[in-house]
Amino acid sequence: MSNAIKVDIWSDVQCPWCYIGKRKFETAVAGFDGEVDVEYHSFELAPDTPVDFDGSPRDYLAERKGVSPDQVDQMLERVTGIAASVGLDYDYDHVHQTNTIKAHELIHYAKANGRQLDMKERLLKAYFIDGRHVGRIEDLADLAAEIGLDRDEVVRVLTDNTYLADVKADVAQAEAYGISGVPFFVFDEKYGVSGAQDAATFANVLEQVVLERAHGDSESAQ
Amino acid sequence: MTDPVTSPLTMVGDSTAAVCDGDFCEIPDHREQAIVNRRVDDDRI
Repeated sequence: MSNAIKVDIWSDVQCPWCYIGKRKFETAVAGFDGEVDVEYHSFELAPDTPVDFDGSPRDYLAERKGVSPDQVDQMLERVTGIAASVGLDYDYDHVHQTNTIKAHELIHYAKANGRQLDMKERLLKAYFIDGRHVGRIEDLADLAAEIGLDRDEVVRVLTDNTYLADVKADVAQAEAYGISGVPFFVFDEKYGVSGAQDAATFANVLEQVVLERAHGDSESAQ
Repeated sequence: MTDPVTSPLTMVGDSTAAVCDGDFCEIPDHREQAIVNRRVDDDRI
């Protein structure tokens, strides 16, 4: 039986804090003396966004939410600066705001093929850094092929909604946990950590789980 | 499909860490941002 600590992460592809939080979490895991088993789960921040929304996140916030363009620019500038601090070169001038349901289905397809973590990273980078579209099936199939997945099969499963039920199950689990925002990390099905925390926080939680497991083992041995 | 796990979680960490909630992403520790967030929340349907 594996002693790996299971960490379930709810996240959306177009969530800037999810990518930043991912990097911080990965820093913690890199410094952790133990095995960590990561699984990503789907969370749709804006399920009503059209796949072919004609505009950027700047346009989306300004037009649909009434935030002034100056305020949006200030917000995006801050996020971009924080992203840079963890090595991510966000390019909001070329981001395509879209609907991410198909991207989530693709992440589940990748999981079924043992490539979930690679697909998640590729999608986040595609959206925030590379200016790629992550809502259309053909674009998603291109991204999947770039990490070695079967492009034709991806087109087929996304067209057939093969993994839609898995996305919905993730969303249902998020609701059951009371998750309203992402990123959200669940350690060992016990501890919840909300947001793009510092790496030290993630590291502390991992150590806490180790200590509790050791304590539980010593109690059961008595 | 299995039923969702409903056991409560113990929340740990900084409760003000940055999250995206709905289709808007908060930026903590900036009061002017909080004002913008409230405007968006008020506008939420």
